[in-house]
Amino acid sequence: MAKILAVDDSASMRGMVAFTLRGAGHEVTEAENGQLALEAASTDAFDLVLADVNMPVMDGIAMVRAFRAKPEYQGVPILMLTTESNTEKKMEGKAAGATGWLVKPFDPEQLLATVKRVLG
Amino acid sequence: MAAVDLTQFHKTFFEESVEGLDAMEAALLALDSGSTDHELVHTIFRAAHSIKGGAATFGFTDVAAFTHVAESLLEEVRSERRVVDATLTDLLLRSVDCMRAMLDRTAQGQPAADANSEALRVELAQLVEGKTAAVAVATKSKAEVVAGWDIRFVARPHLLQTGNEPLRLFRELQQLGRLEVLRAFITDAAPAEFAAIDPGQCYLGWELRLHGAVARPDLDALFEWLDGDCDLTIAAVPAPQEVAAPAPAPSAAAPAVAAPAAAPAGTREVSASGSAEGGSIRVGIDKVDALIDMMGELVITQSMLNDIGTNFELSQLERLREGLAQLERNTRELQDSVMRIRMLPIGSVFNRFPRLVRDLERKLGKQVRLELQGEQTELDKTVLEKIGDPLVHLVRNAIDHGLEVPEQRRAAGKPETGTLTLDAHHEGGNIVVRISDDGAGLNRERILAKAVERGLVPPGQQLSDDEVAELIFQPGFSTAAVATDLSGRGVGMDVVRRNVHDLGGSVGVKSVAGKGSVFTIALPLTLAIIDGLVTAVGEERYIVPLISIVESLRLGADTVRKIAGGGEVFKFRGEYLPMIRLHRAFGCPNAIAEIERGIVVVVEDDGQRVGLLVDELLGQQQAVIKSLEKHYERVQGVSGATIVSDGSVALIVDVGGVVRLGRRIKAA
Amino acid sequence: MAGKRAARHDEGQAVGKVATVVLPADCRIAAQAALQAELAQALQGGAIELDGSQVERVDTAALQLLVLLRRALDGCSGTLAWRGSSAALNDAAGLLGLARILELPAVGPA
Repeated sequence: MAKILAVDDSASMRGMVAFTLRGAGHEVTEAENGQLALEAASTDAFDLVLADVNMPVMDGIAMVRAFRAKPEYQGVPILMLTTESNTEKKMEGKAAGATGWLVKPFDPEQLLATVKRVLG
Repeated sequence: MAAVDLTQFHKTFFEESVEGLDAMEAALLALDSGSTDHELVHTIFRAAHSIKGGAATFGFTDVAAFTHVAESLLEEVRSERRVVDATLTDLLLRSVDCMRAMLDRTAQGQPAADANSEALRVELAQLVEGKTAAVAVATKSKAEVVAGWDIRFVARPHLLQTGNEPLRLFRELQQLGRLEVLRAFITDAAPAEFAAIDPGQCYLGWELRLHGAVARPDLDALFEWLDGDCDLTIAAVPAPQEVAAPAPAPSAAAPAVAAPAAAPAGTREVSASGSAEGGSIRVGIDKVDALIDMMGELVITQSMLNDIGTNFELSQLERLREGLAQLERNTRELQDSVMRIRMLPIGSVFNRFPRLVRDLERKLGKQVRLELQGEQTELDKTVLEKIGDPLVHLVRNAIDHGLEVPEQRRAAGKPETGTLTLDAHHEGGNIVVRISDDGAGLNRERILAKAVERGLVPPGQQLSDDEVAELIFQPGFSTAAVATDLSGRGVGMDVVRRNVHDLGGSVGVKSVAGKGSVFTIALPLTLAIIDGLVTAVGEERYIVPLISIVESLRLGADTVRKIAGGGEVFKFRGEYLPMIRLHRAFGCPNAIAEIERGIVVVVEDDGQRVGLLVDELLGQQQAVIKSLEKHYERVQGVSGATIVSDGSVALIVDVGGVVRLGRRIKAA
Repeated sequence: MAGKRAARHDEGQAVGKVATVVLPADCRIAAQAALQAELAQALQGGAIELDGSQVERVDTAALQLLVLLRRALDGCSGTLAWRGSSAALNDAAGLLGLARILELPAVGPA
């Protein structure tokens, strides 16, 4: 099963994502913002990163950019957890190098289906 | 897999949402007090965004629906498509309160939405309307009957950098139907030299055929993430035997998104403040009936005048005069009734205070009884929208600084629970809103000390109680040091005064040590119509609001004294007042420059007086204010324009602005 | 068939004519820069034998590099041969429609 990094400043969302993925057998590391996510990624190799867009300290867009600047994260899928009202954000995320997005709200089943999709 | 139980995350969600709302409120208030820190906007947006996402995820649909609209509005602010003004912050602060209440109810297992939240949601939606309404709803209808799809998919070099792996995409396509690679090719973007290739870039393209009756939306969904990362053409492979598959009809079947009624364009025209937003208004049926009555009378008057006009003889002059007088009465009544449509009870603003007071009580360890009086008093909608914040500030201020903690009150021989009264009533041509508390009153010594410290008054200057009280409204008086005890809410009384000023009103305070303070806000009944004095300045006409005029007089040539800095003052009732020569202030040619030949109109604003030199007085007139700012830049000292009886345009003097000009003269 | 041909080229390598390059187990985008350097080196000789038997994970970047290698070899009349290829490699090449260009056993659609 995959090693997944879940990044969200909302403890409830993060908890929900981590809980769901762990339930499906994945190994999940949690981070509160982009900065902490990058720190986690420097000591661990993740197969997938799931990140909220709007976070304090370092938001999801800046985080994706920073991940893509690391050679070892060039092709690693990074999914943005975003809302429908945020079309521009999706595009901004894509421009920064995000793989795709998961539209909030999502339920555990949708989360798992999308994760399965990117992990191939 | 079995459904995941998410209830364990509810408590966390409520806690973080409350924190988010607190941060949002604090940031809104900071913005409102003039901060331009863009990070504040981000903080506000983030809070709404998180709550929305969480609420939707955990199935609190009412909360999600409400925060969704709020978030859309905030997104416009964040992307600088919408300017933050007092109306907006006011609306957003109300939204914060509303979300708090909704979350409270949700946490208690009650339905989150109520009439208030619904009304507010609609109000928010109307602001963002047009934009949200334009969001297309994905059409799932119109399943084209196809035998398959021809897909030409050419990667752009950066494709792989986004983590979008064609292998994965092809696997997904396989899930939809049988995938045939007709051709795979190397694009022209690939360097000829093997060593020059950047292996992180993608130089491949494919021509694919997906066999099967795959629905186009399902196909599009797979490529959605690749928008901008590839060049894509998708063409249907028509089903054999099928007579020309129908072209997809323009999405007529799209379900209608709640399409809020368009804002009446007319409301904007009458709004003196020239507020940019439209918005609708709920009008009581009695007001509409009154209008219809009035129209009836107007029609009668008109037919009567018609009669007289058809065969007019001089003997009918008296009847004509009567008819015209009646017409004037009708017109005035009609005007009143029309203006009354814009009037809404202040209760809708007062209603937010019980909660605020309760919150503050808890936060500050005080006991407060809130009394609301005159909730039915009606105010112009624009005024009403903008008066909320100043009132909130004053109420906060009263509880924070005015009312004492229970021990102190007991020691002072007062009941432990303090009383805060909000009261609205008509007084002359104004609506007066009073915020009174039975607290300690303004602390003269502390205010003086701080004013000296801030350099607002020289040390040792003798000031009356009123003058000392006036100091708290001075810009630069309320700074962080005062504001910190209100959990970091940096709000100055100068901002309150400025906001009230912008509404054409005034604010003052009376205070008795140990007994309490009374803040009084006087607001015009309506912003759209004023009674004005028409004056001539050179070839131009200026209208001075009657309500500000103290006296008009002619002065002798020797009564005006020049002072340092180039200003002029004159003596009026034992006091030296700044003299503003309007022709100089506004640059009007051919105006009377000699004091003794012109007229001086003494005007007052917030207890401060100045004299305005004009050529002559032409008469009184009711002026319907037209905002200039929509078309021109804001001009200091001018609040708008109107059409005078001879059809020409006159500018309306903004007395507050002119007085501020005068204050500068006096200070120089 | 591919296996047979690989065996023959093994002998060739001893003479210094054919260079053998072993594809790594994790043959994804992050490994491509190193692989590219190795292949560029091997390209000098004009004959390359690839050992893909250890490949467990492979992606488009890797297959693309091989396709571009094939093109470069074609350009200098070089030869490409396989000493072995894993199921993962065959599968991926088949899926992307690159198996024929690479002379790998075709799997998947196509």
